Amino acid sequence: MSPEALSASDATRARVSAPGARTGAMLIALGVLWLALDVATGGLFLSPRNLVNLAVQASAVGVMATGMVLVIVARQIDLSIGSVLGFTGMVIAGLQVEDGLPGGPLPWPIALCAGIALACAIGAWHGAWVAYARLPAFVATLAGLLVFRGAAWLVSDGRTLAPLDATYTRIGGGLHGTIGATATWWLAAAISAGIAASRLSGWRRAPSSGGLARIALPAASLFGTVIAIAAIANSVPAPDGSPAGLPLPVLVLGAVALAVHGLATRTRFGRHVFAIGGNPRAAELAGIDVRGVTLRAFTLLGALAGVAAVLTTARLGAGTNSMGTLAELAVIAAAVLGGTSLAGGAGSVGGALLGALWMQSLENGMVLLDVTSALRQVAIGLVLLIAVAADARWRGAAP
Amino acid sequence: MLACAVPHRSAQLFLLALASLPGLTLRALAAAMLVSSALPAAAETEHPVVVGVSWSHFQEERWKIDEASLVAALGVRGARYLSADAQSSAEKQLADLENLVTRGADVLVVVAHDPDALRPALASARAAGIPVVAYDRLIESPDVFYLSFDNRRVGQIQAEQILAVRPGGRFAFIKGSPQDPNTEFVYAGQLDVLRPAIDAGRVQVVGDQYVDGWLPEVAQRVTEQILTRNGGRVDAFVCSNDGMAGGVAAALASGGRSGVPVSGQDGDQAALNRIALGRQTVSVWKDSRALGRAAAEVSVALAGGVRPEQIAGAQTFTTPGGVRVPALLLEPVAITRENLDRVIEAGWASRGAVCRGVAAGPEAPPACRPKP
Repeated sequence: MSPEALSASDATRARVSAPGARTGAMLIALGVLWLALDVATGGLFLSPRNLVNLAVQASAVGVMATGMVLVIVARQIDLSIGSVLGFTGMVIAGLQVEDGLPGGPLPWPIALCAGIALACAIGAWHGAWVAYARLPAFVATLAGLLVFRGAAWLVSDGRTLAPLDATYTRIGGGLHGTIGATATWWLAAAISAGIAASRLSGWRRAPSSGGLARIALPAASLFGTVIAIAAIANSVPAPDGSPAGLPLPVLVLGAVALAVHGLATRTRFGRHVFAIGGNPRAAELAGIDVRGVTLRAFTLLGALAGVAAVLTTARLGAGTNSMGTLAELAVIAAAVLGGTSLAGGAGSVGGALLGALWMQSLENGMVLLDVTSALRQVAIGLVLLIAVAADARWRGAAP
Repeated sequence: MLACAVPHRSAQLFLLALASLPGLTLRALAAAMLVSSALPAAAETEHPVVVGVSWSHFQEERWKIDEASLVAALGVRGARYLSADAQSSAEKQLADLENLVTRGADVLVVVAHDPDALRPALASARAAGIPVVAYDRLIESPDVFYLSFDNRRVGQIQAEQILAVRPGGRFAFIKGSPQDPNTEFVYAGQLDVLRPAIDAGRVQVVGDQYVDGWLPEVAQRVTEQILTRNGGRVDAFVCSNDGMAGGVAAALASGGRSGVPVSGQDGDQAALNRIALGRQTVSVWKDSRALGRAAAEVSVALAGGVRPEQIAGAQTFTTPGGVRVPALLLEPVAITRENLDRVIEAGWASRGAVCRGVAAGPEAPPACRPKP
């Protein structure tokens, strides 16, 4: 059996499409949570400004969660990404401040690219230990967690590196970090057109799957979401009073999610990741390059930790050596909450985004309610436990 | 710096290396040679006081600043300086303390890596009548002199400086990690100053949150939520350190807010720059050179037979474990835009780093105006 034949098998199809129904259930649960928090906060939670804050606050974890899905689906884990975020963030900051790393200060685009390239290389380093040296991913990336947290400190002997370039900090979504009303509407129009085109072409390829009406309803709900997001972003005023529009970190998250979703569902690499997760032995026998695919999944996640480092440093306007501490756990929790199975083989990028949104909504809403950090931790931990247990019962399978 | 009679530093180092080896015979031999070699030097200089300092982890940059001022202050008093670096190992520090005594230390100054692991060495020092000074890190033992900065005073200064620019209004507290005892000391100090204003209704507390691990990015998110909760109407952030103050300042800046007072501590370079730029009100600075000088004074006095309670400024400090120890708690310094020169002249931060991005002109803080 060729890899293509295997990946197109019904079993794999079912695994990839199963998250669809589950995502619907999660959306409804998120809606209920949002309404409850909104009532509890007297309408503050669902105010446009707070929704925009929520999206920006979830962006760094969301970016990494999309990549974590692929790593977990391939039956691996990466505990190092919080430290990789910290280390590459310190390097990016060190390269652009005046008294940072030797060779600096460099223009911010060069620092940014160097940082992401470094994160990519670190991801490949972990991937190589797992795929080629056959180390358990837990051990290889636990070592990475220690190594790169220490390395983050060594970049500047623990000193905070600031201030960062004013243009660079816009990427963080702060002052002048939004794209304005006009661009937001144009973007919404372009995304709507893209949705329409892809739905129509899907219907043309397989018209037997139902009438136009059958694709019209989901498409209309997607249009509605896109327009609602644009309207919400535009109803928040920037400091100068004009409509702010979408913040850049949210755009970055959207672009990353689309790209990783496409990679997972439309490419041979993505099909191979799911095939390996479903049954590594069978995948290998079917001729899939298991090692190469594993290496690439880790490399991708490393690169995304670099992107998250850019978002975090740009948002803070500084590089601090503690950045990203415990972020790996938030990211894994988001992926698992979003339906990614730690047994491998099942998961979706959309689900992980919802998971990240779930976690950040709890955090965000509970600070609005002035709940202490200790109680917040208890609540988020319990929600994670109950959600995953309920999901396992619902699916009748191990999480 | 080691004024022993063994002529070459390398030979001394060799003996020291031998002395720290596990083999008992060799160790005793090497230690004996070191002691005997130190004797003639002591005779020549009328028994100078020998101060043995055990560092916990000398590789950290800050301890070099402490050491320089300690050594200079000892030099002025004609005392001798011995040192050992425990390299973050409790076992090594235990051996270091024994070695320092063997090498003739009359008084020990200890930056404890793990205070509880040092009990055997402290007991034998007590038996030998050698006074011990706990430097910067508390050792909960009634006969160890505690020398540090007053962390409660840090919180008081933060609140005083905030009140000086904003005498009342809607205040939010951004506190440190709930696991860190310093968090509570600092918060208690802040309340010492703000409590009367809160009780009189002049200050309303509109937010009060711990930040796990003192993480700046968490402080940033918490600040955004406190601002949202109050519709942006927060008049001051009483923030416990400079790292978190960076997160608070970033959250304020992204909302386009300026002029909201923010406090901090540590004298971080980035925070000093924010003070120059007007984005932070105060950083409470604990000048480690002052701590080094005080250590020289206290240790020489104790070695000379002065009783702990007779030392100028000494008080009784009750530790979290309920032990009453003699202590000297130094007053930290408030660094604001008016006295940024103080950290620059101390060599703590360069003028370039402090004044980066500050527009020259009459609006600039005094430290960043061109000198005539």
